[in-house]
Amino acid sequence: MEKFEPIVIAFCCHYCAYTAADLAGTMRLQYPYNVRIIRLPCTGKVDIRHLLEVFEKGADGAYVAGCLEGDCHFLKGNFRAKKRVALAKQILEDAGIGGERLEMYNMSAAMGPRFAEVAREMTEKIRKLGPSPIKKNAERKAHSAERKEEQTAEHITQKV
Amino acid sequence: MEKERERQQEKIEKTGAVMIVGGGVGGMQAALDLANSGFKVYLVEESTAIGGRMAQLDKTFPTNDCSMCTISPKLVETGRHLNIQLMMDSEVMKVDGPAGNFTVTVRHKPRYIDISKCTGCSECAQVCPIITPGRFDEGMAQQRAAYKLYPQAVPNAYAIEKRGIPPCRDACPTGQRAQGYIALIREGRYEDAMRVIKEDNPFPGICGRICNHRCEDECNRNLVDQPLSIANLKRFVTDQVYKQPYIPPDPLPYQFGEKVAIIGAGPCGLTAAKDLRKVGYPVTIFEALPIAGGMLRVGVPDYRLPPLIVDREVREIIDLGIDLRLNTPVSNLDDIMKEGFKAVLIAVGAHEGRKLPIPGTDLPEVLINTQFLRDVSLLSLGMHKDPAGKEIRDPKADIQNRHVLVLGGGNVAIDCARTAVRLGAAKVDMACLESREKMPAHPDEVKEAEEEGITVYSSRSFKRILDKDRHVAGVEAVKVTFMEFDQDGRLNLETEEGSEHVLPCEVVIFAIGQRAGLAFIPESAGVGVTRMSTIAVNPNTFAATRPGVFAAGDVTTGTSFVVEAVASGHKSAASIHRYLRGEELEPVPLPELPVVKLTKEELQERVASGDVRVTPRVRIEPRPVSQRTSSFAEVSPGYTEEEAKAEAARCLACGICSECLCCYYKCGLGAIHHDMVETQEEVQVGSIILSPGYEVYNARLSQEYGLGRYPNVLNALQFERILSASGPTMGHVQRPSDSQLPRKIAFLQCVGSRDQDHPYCSAVCCMYATKEAIIAKEHEKEIQPTIFFIDIRAYGKGFDAYYERAKKEYGVRYVRCAISRVVEDPQTKNLWITYIDDAGEIKEEEFDLVVLSVGMVPSASTRELAKNVGIELDAYGFAKTDSLTPLATSRPGVYACGVFQGPKDIPETVAQASGAAAAASEILSEVRGTMVARKEYPEQKDVREEEPRIGVFVCRCGNNIGGVVNVPGVKDYAASLGNVVFADENLYTCSQDTQEKIKKAIEEHKLNRVIVASCSPRTHEPLFQETIREAGLNRYLFEMANIRDQCSWVHMHEKEEATSKARDLVRMAVANANLISPLEELTKGVIKRGLVIGGGLSGMTAALGLAEQGFEAVLVEKESELGGNLRHLKTTLDGKNIPKYLEELKAKVTKHPRIQVFSNAVITDFSGYVGNYKTNLMVGPRMFTREVEHGVTIVATGGEELNPKEYLYGEDQRVLTQLELEGFLHGDGKRVQELKEIVMIQCVGSRNEERPYCSRVCCAEAVKNALTIKSLNPRARVTILYRDMRMYSMLEEDYARARKAGVRFLRYEEERKPEVAQKDGKLEVTVYNPVLRENLSYHPDLLVLSAATIPADTAELASMLKVPRNADGFFLEAHMKLRPVDFASEGIYLCGVAHSPKMIDESLSQAAAAVSRACTILAKDQIQVGGVVSVVDPEKCAACLTCVRVCPYNVPVINKDGVAEIEAAMCHGCGICASECPGKAIKLQHFTDEQVMAKCDVIIEVLSEAFRGERV
Repeated sequence: MEKFEPIVIAFCCHYCAYTAADLAGTMRLQYPYNVRIIRLPCTGKVDIRHLLEVFEKGADGAYVAGCLEGDCHFLKGNFRAKKRVALAKQILEDAGIGGERLEMYNMSAAMGPRFAEVAREMTEKIRKLGPSPIKKNAERKAHSAERKEEQTAEHITQKV
Repeated sequence: MEKERERQQEKIEKTGAVMIVGGGVGGMQAALDLANSGFKVYLVEESTAIGGRMAQLDKTFPTNDCSMCTISPKLVETGRHLNIQLMMDSEVMKVDGPAGNFTVTVRHKPRYIDISKCTGCSECAQVCPIITPGRFDEGMAQQRAAYKLYPQAVPNAYAIEKRGIPPCRDACPTGQRAQGYIALIREGRYEDAMRVIKEDNPFPGICGRICNHRCEDECNRNLVDQPLSIANLKRFVTDQVYKQPYIPPDPLPYQFGEKVAIIGAGPCGLTAAKDLRKVGYPVTIFEALPIAGGMLRVGVPDYRLPPLIVDREVREIIDLGIDLRLNTPVSNLDDIMKEGFKAVLIAVGAHEGRKLPIPGTDLPEVLINTQFLRDVSLLSLGMHKDPAGKEIRDPKADIQNRHVLVLGGGNVAIDCARTAVRLGAAKVDMACLESREKMPAHPDEVKEAEEEGITVYSSRSFKRILDKDRHVAGVEAVKVTFMEFDQDGRLNLETEEGSEHVLPCEVVIFAIGQRAGLAFIPESAGVGVTRMSTIAVNPNTFAATRPGVFAAGDVTTGTSFVVEAVASGHKSAASIHRYLRGEELEPVPLPELPVVKLTKEELQERVASGDVRVTPRVRIEPRPVSQRTSSFAEVSPGYTEEEAKAEAARCLACGICSECLCCYYKCGLGAIHHDMVETQEEVQVGSIILSPGYEVYNARLSQEYGLGRYPNVLNALQFERILSASGPTMGHVQRPSDSQLPRKIAFLQCVGSRDQDHPYCSAVCCMYATKEAIIAKEHEKEIQPTIFFIDIRAYGKGFDAYYERAKKEYGVRYVRCAISRVVEDPQTKNLWITYIDDAGEIKEEEFDLVVLSVGMVPSASTRELAKNVGIELDAYGFAKTDSLTPLATSRPGVYACGVFQGPKDIPETVAQASGAAAAASEILSEVRGTMVARKEYPEQKDVREEEPRIGVFVCRCGNNIGGVVNVPGVKDYAASLGNVVFADENLYTCSQDTQEKIKKAIEEHKLNRVIVASCSPRTHEPLFQETIREAGLNRYLFEMANIRDQCSWVHMHEKEEATSKARDLVRMAVANANLISPLEELTKGVIKRGLVIGGGLSGMTAALGLAEQGFEAVLVEKESELGGNLRHLKTTLDGKNIPKYLEELKAKVTKHPRIQVFSNAVITDFSGYVGNYKTNLMVGPRMFTREVEHGVTIVATGGEELNPKEYLYGEDQRVLTQLELEGFLHGDGKRVQELKEIVMIQCVGSRNEERPYCSRVCCAEAVKNALTIKSLNPRARVTILYRDMRMYSMLEEDYARARKAGVRFLRYEEERKPEVAQKDGKLEVTVYNPVLRENLSYHPDLLVLSAATIPADTAELASMLKVPRNADGFFLEAHMKLRPVDFASEGIYLCGVAHSPKMIDESLSQAAAAVSRACTILAKDQIQVGGVVSVVDPEKCAACLTCVRVCPYNVPVINKDGVAEIEAAMCHGCGICASECPGKAIKLQHFTDEQVMAKCDVIIEVLSEAFRGERV
């Protein structure tokens, strides 16, 4: 079987998680390049639509990383995010995509090692879970569409 | 008097600038406040980065906030502020002049890296081979000599740490940077090591073998075990490098036309030739011999110095482009001068051997050292004629199978003897004048010679050579009893009478010294020659007596070591250069660093701490004798790689930086200057704030705790670093001895506090120990922390709750007991602690780790600072201040804050710092704004209608990005993306010249969007935003791709993946850039008036402060009279008269022209935003309504003493509160005299379920009143029943004073509170004594209750102002630590008891702090609002109130049109409302949903492509 490489999106708040990601760099801690970071002023800015839409578009996993609880630069944005992540997880579960593909993490700006650890942890977890079902469906569709096109093309050639 | 001073003060021309000393959290706060309120700030910091202690902390109590998270934005803001000039690595030396116009002399220590050029790229540290224990991690992690204090350090620039010149370098005549190449050997970087050696010495292979290595004699390691084997290490480097084939260097260019002649191609001549050729002179060497290398080539036998080494090292010099003329003896100096040489260096060495003037030296078997060795060498090269053209007679013929005696005891004698052995002599002996111990030959050489069968006859003088048939038949010798050379080199000799004897031999080789052959210098040449037959030169310039003629090496000194020849070669070359350039011949001496002589004590400490391990040097066994005597193969095999690395690892790195220059060559910015020297500068300022902070107590001085001796005893700061995720163990709790998890951790309180030398409380240790215990437990549940304490001083806001949580939720065990000693179990390295438990029994307990809660002590440098500034210190070294002027030092115009003023925690430091800023600016208010720079920008281009034209700048960041990511590839890729019209790459995009390049590109290519792909927007976005703004673009038309911190650094080993990710990140940035738009920032006016709510001490002080700063103040008091609680107080603990102070303060407030007081007034309405508030008042007694417009609001509503509901208060007249007692004590003195017994009960109404907080002031209040009673009536018995005496900081002294005065302190337990009853008309107090474990009864005349301090009723006010209160009813500041007097809503501040219970001096500091914060708004004419804020689309808004509910700052309101409105001036830009709004009517500018999704789309698209590609 071919090796599956998951696409993981990390929504990071500017003040803690993004800073921790930078620190992971300063400390030269290696983590998989499957994880790609979206910087936001606060995890309170993470829209539930973003969380769902990235899966719809083909992400295999996503997580939101904010400040430690009680440490939010904007007082309570990370609590808002926590609630939304919980809700989005439920929706993903109900939709058959799997709630465990989405997580919420909290870390401080000094936790570079934790950032790298979470990135590894999440990538491995999603790798084990395999490709997102949405993606599989989409691929199947794309594949069949392609086949159809090919057939049509053949058909045309034959005619000519 | 005072008026006189005031008048004088007015006459002084003031300077609108303030100097702040100390860049910790206090210094930064003061700097920002002042710079933001119109003053120029010079921030002087002695270390290489600002941030102070707080930057070192992991978490902060009582919120467990991440310290770095909270301090980091302050660091950046301070570092970038236009009006804060950082003076790093600097100290104040002197302060002259009056307050208002000081002249400060500042000393700048060399940093060796130019801050203005350094971009913090870290390449210098990456190549630096020196490892030292890092200061930031308290010695627990390693750091390089080129270092940045910590990752987030500001300024983001490296520094180089130098302690001095290592003794090895100092001992070497050529100044070899041995420490440097040794460190490079340890790292396996042999090419670099070779480069370092060659900085000072072109002959490493030679000196690595035959140098007398004085460096080793001076090595500090001598004090530990054995010196480093420096010579062998040097040889090892050459062995490694010369294994590689020789690549000739490129010939050097010429800079100058003057030709230089050098006579003699020995080590001195060659060194000088190389130096002069490098400077750019044409150089010709005249050499009499057929081969270059001088003595090295023809005087040192091959077994000691293989000829290949000499040839290679000589060739490397000649190949630089030097004209070498072999077989060219100079017969006359004048001939050379006639050839047009402008300077001549005579470096002919000393090649003429000598014989003794004794009979028999003319016999054919009498040979001379130099000729003998030279003949052997030349013959081995296949040369059969000597320089004079005479046929060489093979010495082998003379030697083979014969008995050889070498006369002489130096290295050359040994060389001759051992050469004779190898030529097949039947027997070889040596005889010399010196005793065995004083033989000049190296002991190792003598040893090896003896191993080879050579007999040494020492202490012999030679009478004659015996002649038998014109052949040598032995040497007649006598025994020497005494020998010494006097100062002039004359020999004093005493011999033993009758000791004549014959040393049998058939061949004699004289090896008693050499001298120069100076036949080519006739007297007429004008070059003076000494009596010792050397050329006379000036030892500093090497100039001979004839102009243009120089001489160096053995020809000037007589025979010496090769390293001396090299050194004189360097110096004479430098001198010749100066001569040819017409400069002064004597070099100007440069300031030099001291030589580092480590002390035995220091080294013992390093051994004890495990930093240095006792390990003798790695020995090299010479080849076995049988192998070596039969050939000229090298005797010593040299180090293997493994051995060399092990030996190199022993170096103590004495100098720290070794000046190996690796960083200098690596730095692409030319930022490194190893020759930087200290400079001084004079700065004019109006006032000075001192905030130099503290050191932690050096607990090694308290040996009983074992710090430094036992590896598992740490100080609290070390443990803090262990807890830190970015610390030495990455946040894993490990003990140093075995890296195992310590399950049982003991914290010992009051180490270096509350003792004889430090009779004060350090104020923070109880809480930080609690914090560290909690955090350790959070890291690892298994950890069982125990805190051994005397009193738990949890007196601050939220501290008691924190302490309770530690006990109840985290199970932290608290044991009340002082520990006298810690003992280590040598096997397990566990630690034994003996203590007395609750039951009074002596217990022994074993712990895995002990943490010492070390106190705060002023550092030696702060004492120096105080002396230089001219202010008084208290007995312990803290700044002297008093309770009513807590910020002023003894010198007018100089203020103190932070721990320098007395031990305190972070919020108090920050409040004091703001307060000091207010005090420092108050005297300068009329010159506000006179020295600040204002940036002028070109008009903004309107690009809204334009199509995006994006410019992308990809950064290499030296090697940081460029070494991993294919930067040109990324640039080309960027150029291929839609709307990208320009792409470029830079070595360092953040460097100053690149900013100009970017601006030019914006202009030339009409860019309207700019992307920089480099490091983190967190640190660099503001810089680039500034750049594009300077080019006329709106700041928000900028976007960054983080291809370093989040790409090249985290995928260091996967270059392809990193490159593809960098491309993706650029593509995301481009996708985003297409969607960004310019954001407008609106300006709003500021009403220069402050409203102060509350007319107590804090409120009055704040109002007066605002007025003195030049702003109007409106003071609102609900009661009819000003003064608040102060009206009930009579004195302070330090004896100040409060009623007098109050009257003066009231008078100042009420009479001030800029203050309007409304008493009997209540606030009925409050609206507006920062700079523009509107408040409605009802002012009694007739309830007029008033409307006040103001720019800022200060809440100082205070609190009051609780009316107790227990202990018969209100039922028995003899039961009073402390405030009532204070009134009583200052009333009728007679009644006080009648008192016999007074009992006080602490914590009445505090620290209970209803009010779980500590009221902070009651312990001090009780002590104060007790002391008053004792002073009025010494016979009265005063007993204070307490739970913990919270006499923090300097109050501890008063606590001691009370005990000394006879006040009795008796602890009661929370569960067994005292009981009070009336019995037979008497009061009876019964209390359980936990120490004696029995009940005690008292029958006091007065029972005094230390009642809680409760906040004023402010529920309504809080809801009007929309500012939060905590559960206890005190107002809640924006941030516990760093914004202690700010509310989260900008423009509203708080101070005094409204914040939490506090002492008078603390309220005064806080009130001043609130003024300072307020001034940052009031000083501005306008404020900028907008940018990254939320905006509402009224069309879509359904007024559902979601935004109103979710906003953490209560900003959104439903306006008169019935839709939500968000005031840009108040919005913090978090975006919570935008993501919660169900109708999507709100968007957060610059982070719109479209932008976020565009980036997500790119990620999914590119990764899908990439991963599909992988599967194919």
